[in-house]
Amino acid sequence: MFLYYVDLAWRSIRKTPFLSLLMVLAISIGIGITITTLNVYKMMSFNPAGERSTQIHSVQLWSQGPDSWDEFDVNRTYQDVINLRSANLAQRQAAAFRTGMALQSDDESIAPVLQSIRVTDSDFFGIFSVPFLYGSAWEASVDTEPAYQVVIGEKLNRTFFKGENSVGRTVYLNRKPYQVVGVIKEWNPQPKYYDPTNGAFNDAEEIFVPFSLTPIEEFEVWGNTNGWKFEPMLTYNDRLISEKAWIQYWVELQGKEQIDAYSDYLAGYVEQQQALGRFTDPKQPRDKQRLVDIAAWLAQNNVVAEDNKVLVGLSVLFLSVCLVNILGLLLTKFLKRAPEVGVRRAIGASRAQIFAQYMVEVGSIGLLGGVLGLLWAVGALQILSARFDIADGLTRLDLSMWLITPMIAISTAVIAGLYPAWVVCRTKPSVYLKSQ
Amino acid sequence: MLHIKPILSSLLRSKSGPLLLLIQIILSVAIVANASFIIHERLALMSRDSGIAEEEILSFNVYNFDPSMDMAQQNKQDQQILRALPGVISASSTNMLPLSGGGWMDRLVDGPDVETAKSTPGFAFYLGNEQMVDTLGVKIVEGRNFFAEEIRSSPAESGILALVSKPLAQAFWGEESPVGKIMYQGTDQQVEIIGVIEQLQGAWVDHRNFEYSVIANVDWGGQGANSSYMVRAGAAALPGLKDSIIAALHRENPNRVIDNFKTIAEHRASSYRDHELMVTILSMMVVLLLLITSLGLAGMVMFNIERRTKQIGTRRALGARKRDIMSYFLVENYLICLAGGILGALLAVLLGQQLMKFYSLPKLELIYPLLTLAGLLLVTTMAVFFPARKAADISPALATRSV
Repeated sequence: MFLYYVDLAWRSIRKTPFLSLLMVLAISIGIGITITTLNVYKMMSFNPAGERSTQIHSVQLWSQGPDSWDEFDVNRTYQDVINLRSANLAQRQAAAFRTGMALQSDDESIAPVLQSIRVTDSDFFGIFSVPFLYGSAWEASVDTEPAYQVVIGEKLNRTFFKGENSVGRTVYLNRKPYQVVGVIKEWNPQPKYYDPTNGAFNDAEEIFVPFSLTPIEEFEVWGNTNGWKFEPMLTYNDRLISEKAWIQYWVELQGKEQIDAYSDYLAGYVEQQQALGRFTDPKQPRDKQRLVDIAAWLAQNNVVAEDNKVLVGLSVLFLSVCLVNILGLLLTKFLKRAPEVGVRRAIGASRAQIFAQYMVEVGSIGLLGGVLGLLWAVGALQILSARFDIADGLTRLDLSMWLITPMIAISTAVIAGLYPAWVVCRTKPSVYLKSQ
Repeated sequence: MLHIKPILSSLLRSKSGPLLLLIQIILSVAIVANASFIIHERLALMSRDSGIAEEEILSFNVYNFDPSMDMAQQNKQDQQILRALPGVISASSTNMLPLSGGGWMDRLVDGPDVETAKSTPGFAFYLGNEQMVDTLGVKIVEGRNFFAEEIRSSPAESGILALVSKPLAQAFWGEESPVGKIMYQGTDQQVEIIGVIEQLQGAWVDHRNFEYSVIANVDWGGQGANSSYMVRAGAAALPGLKDSIIAALHRENPNRVIDNFKTIAEHRASSYRDHELMVTILSMMVVLLLLITSLGLAGMVMFNIERRTKQIGTRRALGARKRDIMSYFLVENYLICLAGGILGALLAVLLGQQLMKFYSLPKLELIYPLLTLAGLLLVTTMAVFFPARKAADISPALATRSV
């Protein structure tokens, strides 16, 4: 029966080619626009942490004085990070900031490259599930006893070591030797959720060095440094003892108990710092700390651009215009075929059968529109990414779209078809038989 | 005469068809009005003049990784090399690049006492030498530029002088001239204002203080391993400049990475790219929406004509002229469009209010729904005109034949 309806639908579509084409076009354009904006939205709002999202927390402290910032800063001061690190209370914990240095190897024939580098602790790799190809992170002891060790990415390993296991070999960062302890596999989470502050869709760093080297090597800060009061920064040490915030601090905590315990600890820490004359804002110590999980962190960093939300809203409205448009076209088309329906009813087709037949027809139009719409969307995304230099991660068609698109298309068409099909299956056979 | 009454009563009788068209027009007006408003607002943002010679300024980054290098000395030497290159008009080290999306923001206060001092609004804080004004191509409208011997190497030294942009001067000092005023960074660092620049924008195109800028007399390039420079050159010299800069600086010392060559015009383009993207997508939406609405309308009118062939034939037989038949369809369209347009404008305003509440969009101006309605009338007239002309061609005989 279904196949017969499909056949009927195809005949009917061919009988009114112009009208059918209009309908397919209308659906496809509506779908094309909706899927384009929805895809970008989905890519932006993707949470790469997955189920670990609630276990990874950014530690945030209200270290500013009164009448300065009116919200929590995403970064911490060096002194707070050092204190929290040495307390070592979380399951895993890592400080992190971005720097950059020139990279060379013993092979002089390869030109030095300026690389963006993450300065962090050994737990970083575990917290953010960074996969290793060779070796591993540096020992936890390096986090307290600084050593010139480095973890590099697969791509750099190919450039500088021809892809061999380079663990134990030496690379030079600003001409200083670092020993390779690990090579990570291609790892580029989009959005760059462990640090979206300088572009949420930038590429991940490919070099990682121990945070404990910071005061010795005085790594330049390639991220944001935020200050709420004037502090001269003439030397690196000025930076280290300042109230300026420039380091992200991450902890991994499992379950409510651990989270509560860590919050208690933070509140106690704030109180202790208040006694030392810091954290001067008149707020309760408990309100001067918070743990932000990944989902909230991405929201705090405005990873999903506001413009994109507006676009998704407008394109859904656009789709509804298409829906109304098709509704009107279907109504005229079906009413025109009323005499035919009259005959079918007279020779025994039930209302349900007529209804089903028209729904199949409408659904086929929707499917055609959906397929065409998906092509529009793919084209639009390609053109946009080429023309506007958008991060690849945003314009790649999400796999789920292959399922979502036909679903939206067919249901749009079916919703549009419900009323016309209902009108037409109420047709009284007698009216049309009389006029024949 | 337009014979509105019979058209209206026939519209009211055949409920669903015209009603659908009405809904479609209401939604279209609401969407198109808001979209075109956003487009217009973004275009206005993008067309703001920066006041600097964007096309002639090449910016780049030098990363020195030779630990034995004397950075301050190297910086001075590098700038001399840059200025000696053929075609180069002037060059300055800088801590930030205009319109680039990244830079320093700071405030100054007007007294040493924390309790009573009044703070300026936040401004983009440029550090550069006496050539920065020429390199940017900005105009000093009051006071003077720095002299070469006044240039310092750090903003913490004494003798800091500053040029302020006119919008900042007006925002903080009003009509009074800021030249000669002493400002403070913190409690003891003094900054003397020696000049006013007509216009200089900061780094962040969406920041509300975009027009507020200050240049201080600091040759920042010697501060650390990482230095940024701006070089201004004539249009003829610009294309080959990148290669000659790399060659000349590497000849001086090979232990550095020289990259990120970009003109300020390129920085501008990438800073405004999101807005451009928004404008493109929304324009696409508007065009497609009008297209779909008019195609749908044309399709429906065509089918109505087929259904009403007899009726039209009869009217023609009873003495209606071709013109009357055409005006019937056109007036029918106008009635629906007007009703839809008015309701759509209301919806547009409501939608605009929601957008304003949740997103940082300004209030929708009424002119946009009105313009949309005008556009819609034009497009739908075309969509109806051709089918209507076909209808007018129906011969009276057709009606009588099948009776």
